[in-house]
Amino acid sequence: MRKGILEFCILSIIRRGEAYPSDIVDEMRGANLQILEGTLYPLLTRLKNAEMLTYRWVESNSGPPRKYFSLTPKGEEFFKELETTWNELANAVNTLASKRESLVSSAGPGTITDINEFPTETTQPNN
Amino acid sequence: MIPIEETAFEMLKQYIESLRRYFANEEGRDEIINDIESRIAELFSERLKKGAICITDEDVQAVMASMGRPEDFDAETGTAANGGTNTGTGPQQQSTSQQSQSTGGSYSAGPARGRLVRNADDKIIAGVCSGLANYFHIDPVIMRIVFVVLLFTGGSGLLVYLILWVAVPSQSIQSNITKRLYRSSEDKVLAGVCGGLAGYFNISTWVPRLIFALPLIIGLLSGPFNWWWGDMDFWIGPRIVTGSLGSTLFVTYIVLWIAVPIAVTAAEKLEMRGERVDLNSIRDTVKEDLEGFRSRAQNWGNDIKQSAQQLGTQAKQFTQSERVKTFTTEASTAARGAGSGIAHILGVLFKAFFLFIVGMIALALFGALVGLVFGGVPVMAFKEFLLEGFWQNSLAWLTVLLFLGVPIIALITWLIRRIMGVRSRNHYLGYIFGTLWFVGIASAALLTGSVFRSFKSRNFVEENIAMAQPANGKLYLDVASNSINYRYYSNDWFDWDSDWPLFGANLDSIMLNTVRIDVVKSNDNDFHVTKVKFSRGKDPVTARNLAEKINFSTSQVDSVLYLPKGFSISKGERWRAQQVLLILQVPLGKRFRLDRSISKYDWFDVRYNHRGGLDIEDNWERTYWVESGKEYIMTPDGPKQVSKLDVEALKRGEYKERDKDDDNEEANQERIERRKRNNEEPAVTDTTGGYRYRKQTPANKTDSTTPAKAKSATASANENDEGQSTTLFSSSFASNKVSTR
Repeated sequence: MRKGILEFCILSIIRRGEAYPSDIVDEMRGANLQILEGTLYPLLTRLKNAEMLTYRWVESNSGPPRKYFSLTPKGEEFFKELETTWNELANAVNTLASKRESLVSSAGPGTITDINEFPTETTQPNN
Repeated sequence: MIPIEETAFEMLKQYIESLRRYFANEEGRDEIINDIESRIAELFSERLKKGAICITDEDVQAVMASMGRPEDFDAETGTAANGGTNTGTGPQQQSTSQQSQSTGGSYSAGPARGRLVRNADDKIIAGVCSGLANYFHIDPVIMRIVFVVLLFTGGSGLLVYLILWVAVPSQSIQSNITKRLYRSSEDKVLAGVCGGLAGYFNISTWVPRLIFALPLIIGLLSGPFNWWWGDMDFWIGPRIVTGSLGSTLFVTYIVLWIAVPIAVTAAEKLEMRGERVDLNSIRDTVKEDLEGFRSRAQNWGNDIKQSAQQLGTQAKQFTQSERVKTFTTEASTAARGAGSGIAHILGVLFKAFFLFIVGMIALALFGALVGLVFGGVPVMAFKEFLLEGFWQNSLAWLTVLLFLGVPIIALITWLIRRIMGVRSRNHYLGYIFGTLWFVGIASAALLTGSVFRSFKSRNFVEENIAMAQPANGKLYLDVASNSINYRYYSNDWFDWDSDWPLFGANLDSIMLNTVRIDVVKSNDNDFHVTKVKFSRGKDPVTARNLAEKINFSTSQVDSVLYLPKGFSISKGERWRAQQVLLILQVPLGKRFRLDRSISKYDWFDVRYNHRGGLDIEDNWERTYWVESGKEYIMTPDGPKQVSKLDVEALKRGEYKERDKDDDNEEANQERIERRKRNNEEPAVTDTTGGYRYRKQTPANKTDSTTPAKAKSATASANENDEGQSTTLFSSSFASNKVSTR
């Protein structure tokens, strides 16, 4: 599941500004999405190889230089696609989850037979 | 520099190693590892900043927890093939795998890592190789090849296979190999073996091709060199290499051709190259194939766009990818199933065999051409001697060019085309080459026929050599050591002495030494030498003329008859299997000796077919073979080596006499001699004493007089039952006999 979603989240974060992996992890944890750093790096590398992301090196005095990632135009496009997909999914799930009316069934209550069979006059349940 | 405890360092090292293994097939593996290491370094320096003196075990553990262990990665992310997740909405539908969640899809986490199972999905016979390959994380095809090799080398493979079949449980596991060995379908010269290998190992295609072709090339090159310098040990080295290595590689190529399936679908092509089979990479691969598959690519594009839009959907994504994965598995199984049929193996073997034959033929032609080119200079000279007339010459040229040259050119062109990957649409060139080659064959046949026709007839000329009788009854035959009349090349270059009938060559004539000396008993008391010259030609007249032209003059000095080393043939006469036969007739009791150098002559067969009416053998009594360099004395039983005979008896001259009592022996002798002896010559009274005169036998007795008896030959004349078989020999003999007196 989460690979597609994770990429969406990563792109959302980076979209807001230049970020380096540790930042990204913090953001995600802040949003209550548990992720391991070891999961993040491969994803970032893949996105970078697919030219969705680009990075630059920034020297730091508290350790080795860091990679700061930012979004490319291609990544921007991809983000939009993912967003659309996500929204569709979210809507679909929400719609299904919020429905209250019972499903129509041809057999009587308690028995489930062929779902494809359309209800007819004679077999209408008397609820 | 970061100070770290030793145990902590060990733990860290193992962690990095596990990460490395985990990302083994990942494309940006090195980069990922570097990033992670940098991050770990950062974390460590933070710790140090916060006051730690050095990094301890707990620090490492904490970092590992923060970064995550490889097992956790799978659990967390889940991949395209695997639908399960820990934090997600409960256990999802599994893929066809019945293992636990941790069975990774494309990553190398195997089925409950460490367990060996037989692969129920990917099996040819029992899934043993596939399961083993899964366990070792290698391509099942490689495993199968290993098993086949083991099978052929001692059968141990079969035993192992059976044991594994029984002992190892079978389970349906998902294949966890991303990189399989396939044969490439685009990048192929013969069968795409090298292309597939190159893709699998990520090297250029020409590298395996060169490895396979190298022994062949070396063999080709060393072939003519071996012919040149047969003794050079220098070439033994490469020959050993090429000999065994070449055949090994050849066999390997065939085995790979049979066993390794060819990558046809885009998914398989991706697997061949080791890229992840997901929709994105498939899309890229398909784009590469766009040239020939325009419409199909468009459909793909539409599908992919749709599927990309559904990317976030759990169920949809899963089914899509599951479909892809199952399709890949099924398709590969099906392809492999079809591919491993016996028919396929037979087909491959046939193709390989056929190619082998064609290759051999091509090599032979090539070798002939090379030989012709290298030996061209002397061959040119000899061409004049062999070929006659305009037609033969032009046919010869035509043959060489078309029969030999065309295949070479065609082969070279084909090779270059293949290597460069140029594909030409038109096959006209092939047809043209084929036609030219057939014309070459036709001209070769014509040439052969024409040449044979020139050799059809055989004729001879014979003459008697005038000679004076040696004084002491001993005749020597020697080869003249100086041939002042002839200038000839030294013939060591081509090792002609032993191999060729030729003896020497200069600009417009060659020397032959096809000379033979036969020894017979003389009819009278004198030595006689008859010279018969043979030649072939396209008709008897031509043959006779050519025979006439043979120049083989002898000279006699005292009791030594000098023979030339050979006879020369000029360009005008052409080589037509000319031979010279010397018939030495030795009277009884006389001695002779052939010098050692006579053995240098090239023997030839004088026996001639009876149809031609020339029965040379039958005309004389049995000819005797004598060793050169030994002195012989002619006895009634034939020449005998003097050294073997009793000296005393020799002195007494016993051997001149015929033992009267020994009738049987005589009868034998006479039976041998009886044919076609025309003994019309007048009796010659010999001056040496001791000859026994034999009473003339009645005419109807078939015994002819022995040649040792010089007497009235009237009786013996009647012995000729077959009157008409008196041939030229006897008549000329008779006539010449008189003249040489």
